[in-house]
Order: sequence, then C-alpha cells, then structure tokens
Amino acid sequence: MRSLYSGLARLVLWVALAIVMFPILWVLLTSFKPSDISQALPPVWDFTPTLQNYTDVLTGNTYTSQVFGVLIVHSVIVTLASTLIGLAAAVPAAYALARLRFRGKRLTANWILSTIMFPPVVSVIPVFIIASRLGLTDTWPVLVIPYAAFGLPMMIWMLRSSIRQIPFEIEEAAMVDGVSQAKILWHIVLPLLTPSIVSASLLAGMLAWNEFLFALTLTRSAVKTAPVGISEFTNMYGTQWGTLTAAATVTVAPILLITLMLRQRVVEGLTFGAVK
Amino acid sequence: MIESPATREGGRPQGRLALSRAAAMGWGLLSPALLILFVMAIAPTIYLVYVSFRHENLLGPGSTFVGVQNFIRVLSDSDNWADALSTVEFVVLSVTIEIGLGLGLALLLNRRLPETNLLTALFILPLGIAPVVSALVFRVLLDPAYGWVDYYLQTWGIIADPIDWLGNPGTAWLAIVGLDVWQWTPFVTLILLAGLSGVPSEPKEAAALDGAGPLRLFWHITLPFLRPFIAIALALRTIEAFKTFGSIFVLTTGGPGTSTEVINLDLYRIALQNFDIGAAAALGIVFLLFLSVIMQQLLKVLGDNTDILED
Repeated sequence: MRSLYSGLARLVLWVALAIVMFPILWVLLTSFKPSDISQALPPVWDFTPTLQNYTDVLTGNTYTSQVFGVLIVHSVIVTLASTLIGLAAAVPAAYALARLRFRGKRLTANWILSTIMFPPVVSVIPVFIIASRLGLTDTWPVLVIPYAAFGLPMMIWMLRSSIRQIPFEIEEAAMVDGVSQAKILWHIVLPLLTPSIVSASLLAGMLAWNEFLFALTLTRSAVKTAPVGISEFTNMYGTQWGTLTAAATVTVAPILLITLMLRQRVVEGLTFGAVK
Repeated sequence: MIESPATREGGRPQGRLALSRAAAMGWGLLSPALLILFVMAIAPTIYLVYVSFRHENLLGPGSTFVGVQNFIRVLSDSDNWADALSTVEFVVLSVTIEIGLGLGLALLLNRRLPETNLLTALFILPLGIAPVVSALVFRVLLDPAYGWVDYYLQTWGIIADPIDWLGNPGTAWLAIVGLDVWQWTPFVTLILLAGLSGVPSEPKEAAALDGAGPLRLFWHITLPFLRPFIAIALALRTIEAFKTFGSIFVLTTGGPGTSTEVINLDLYRIALQNFDIGAAAALGIVFLLFLSVIMQQLLKVLGDNTDILED
C-alpha cells in the first residue's frame, strides 16, 4: 500500500514537472532548430543544431524595428541603474526600521509594504502624461525611477529581517568604544549584510529586467528594453519561431541562472522575508 | 537612540532629546526610500484625483473642470462593470487553483522521495521567466494551425479538430488562467513546502498511534501549522493577480472581443489608446479604492499569521 502511494505521488510529480518544463524546453529546442523546419508539423526531432537564430537575433537580421542585442544592452543599463538606486535607498531605510525606535515608524513601515498593491497600470497613466509634457518620454529616468520603486519594498523587507538577525551586541560594543553611527553602519553592519544585499539586488534586478508595461508605454527606441522588443517577433510578417525563441532564451537565461543559484532566497525575497 | 535591550526594558532613560535624535535619524535614513515611493505612489494618486475632475486634452489646451462627470460616465458604463467582474473572476479562479494545486504538490514533494531535490530545484524556474515571454510562448503553442498543443491533442486522439484556443471566450479564459497557474503554482508550492518542513513529526506519530487516519492527521495537525504559509501565499498571489497586465495583454489582448479584458487592460485602453484621460483617472481611482479595501483585509490576514508587519 505504501509503495503504491509513493508510486502515484511520483507519477503526479513527474507529470507536473513535464508541464512546468514543456514550454521552457520547447523554447530551447526551437531556438537551435534551422529556421526552415521550426514550424514544421509533425515536429522535426532529428536535426543538426544551429546558432543561426542567435546570430540573427543579436545582429538584427530579423523583421523587427531594432537590433535585439541593443535592447538587451538597454535592459542591462536600466536594470543596473534601478537596482543600485533601490539599494542606496533600501539599506538605510532597512536599518532605520530594524534598529531605531521613533514615533510614526510602525505606520510608515506598513505603508511602505502596502505600496505593493499599487497597480502599475494606474501609476503609468500620470507618469505618461507628465513625462510627455516634460519631454522625458524615451529617456532613462522614466524607467529607472519606477523600477527602483517597484523593487524597494521587497529589498527593504529582506534587508530589515537580515539586520535584525545581526546580534545587536556587536554594534553596542562599537558604540561604547565611541565609534560613530555612520561608521558602524558602513564598517560593521554593511559587511555582515553583504549576502542579503546580493540576493535582494538580484531579485530587484529580476523585477526590473522582466517589467513590460512601463517599458511599453514610456519608450519608443532610445531606451526600449528586451521584454517590449521580444513581442515584436510576432508581427505583420507572422511569427518567426526561430528568432522569437532565440530572443526569448537570451532574455530569460540570465534570470533563470540567477533563480537556480539563489533557490530558497528567491522564495524568501518574494514573500518579503516571511518564508525562510 | 538605538533600540537596545537595555533601553527597551528601561523605558526612555535618555529622555526627550535622545528620542527626537532617534526620530531625526530614523526619518533621515528613511527619506530616500520615502522620496522614491512618494514619486511613484502618492504623487500619481494626487495627480489622478486632480485629472479625474477634469476633461483633459492631451494634444492641446482646453482642459476644463467637469465635476464628477467622469465618475458618472465611468460608473454608468456597463462595459467597465463587466471588466471589473472579469478581474475578480480571474483573480479568484487563478488564486484558488494555484493554492489547491500548490498544496497538493507540496504534500507530495514533502514525502521525501529520492528526486525531491531535483524536482524542487526545477519547479522554481517559472518564477524567473518574464510573464511577457511565457505569454508569447503560450500564444505560439496554442496556435490552431502550427501550435504543438492542437497537433499533439489531435495525434493522440483527444480532439478531432483543432481548437482555436484564443478565438473563443471560454477557451481564451482557459488560456489566461492556465498561463497564470503555470507560472505561479510553483511559487505557492515552494512556500507551502517550506511550511511543511516545519511541521513537527512527534504529534503526528502520536496521533497515528492512536489510530487517526491520514485525513484527520492532515486536518488537525498539518493544516494548522500550514495556516500562516497559506495566508502568505493567498495574500501575495491575490495582490499580484490584481496587477496582472503584460501576460493577458500579450496572450489575448483582452479578446476575443472584450471577453478576457480585465480592468488593467481596460484602463490601458481608455488612457493610452483612446486618450480619454479623465475617464481613465476616474476609473483608476475607483479601482484604487477597491484595492485598498482588499489590501486592508490582506494586511490583516498577514498580520494575524506572520510577523511581516511592523509592530
């Protein structure tokens, strides 16, 4: 009876895994197929893998308005800039919430957390109007600042719970020795916080890298990012499966590697430190 | 000025001066974060409220005060109510299925099979995939002429003729909910699996010795331990599901017709395709008010079950 249950459990789990992996493996497989057989039915399984789709995508030999490689560069710049700004704001905020006691802290902290319910579609409308009036459409700040804001609550919460785990006695000892608060933060707290800072940054970077709505609405070409560019691979010329899947792989691969590396910390971050 | 065990127990030995210094430092340290969130949450809300009482002409002058006209127009339009209903249906359906499936998978994974680690590692993958990319992939796979889904369903004799998944309201709904379930059930599974790993084995063994069946064990021992984790999954998934835009936009664009148009797509169309800014602002404010009521409830659920809130 026990082994029957185990067998059933394994069957269900492997079917679930097959469903999870099928679209991912399909993308990988199609991206290495020669483009003349990528849409063939019945699907061709026996083929010589080619990198042609990848070179086409990265050099712009596609029916899209811009070279996809350039959009990847834009995505990298926007992701790095927004993550760094978010980090610079999140570390001091997390320290204040974890260590200091002052009036209004509880309300402010819970308000910061509640901003995650703000739907991007609602905030993109005023941002779009103001950006057009100020001539800021298709510039770096209109993506970088919103993306920094999107990742901010998650970053603050991850860092806040990490700071709480650092024994306060270390900081106390330094204070007794007359070390200034700024120096304590910089020389003692920050080094101990490095692992959390790395994972919080990677997760915030993931949110920025995958964002679609703001990039779709506020960019034209100069700062257009990969998620918007990738939807152009299905256009009036039909869908180029080969280049679409190659572009998808290039876009998704770095994030998937990070996800696999961070594993449990991904869940911790996305649940605001509630699940460890 | 720093919260040490000594000052916590001893009240406020440093007096008013120290207290205000802690406040000054606290607000100082918080100010960059608050500034960013002000720019992205408060300022847009204020601007939306202002615009919602006006008729805005984006292309030239001619912005006029129109009172509550925008609100009357938006709330008397039955299409908006239909979209609101679609939104609630989408959220309830997706989140319910994700929690149910996620719980089932977590219980199975928790049986400590030889392949548990491998499966857990691979289940995390959909979390990292940009929703736009998974929506595009689903769209191609569901193509009635070239898609693999119809091809294999026909080859295996499950269906006779190809299904135009995105061309019929019922199957289009299946597609958008299916996409959300595919992308986020693993997230729920991992949260609940983390919860299950904390369920102690002693009470279970004791109860099993007393002759309690697996169903009663689950109901009386496992489920109470899982409660906070289910609360987190439920709250976070509900919030994110209400914000869904990109995946539905790419997969169905709200179609066929407006059958899968959730309120986010509705807002996008009114504001950024019809440029009816006043109406979009009014609808956006109504949506925000509705969400803040939901958020209050969800924060309460989180506060009761976790230490995620500041106390």
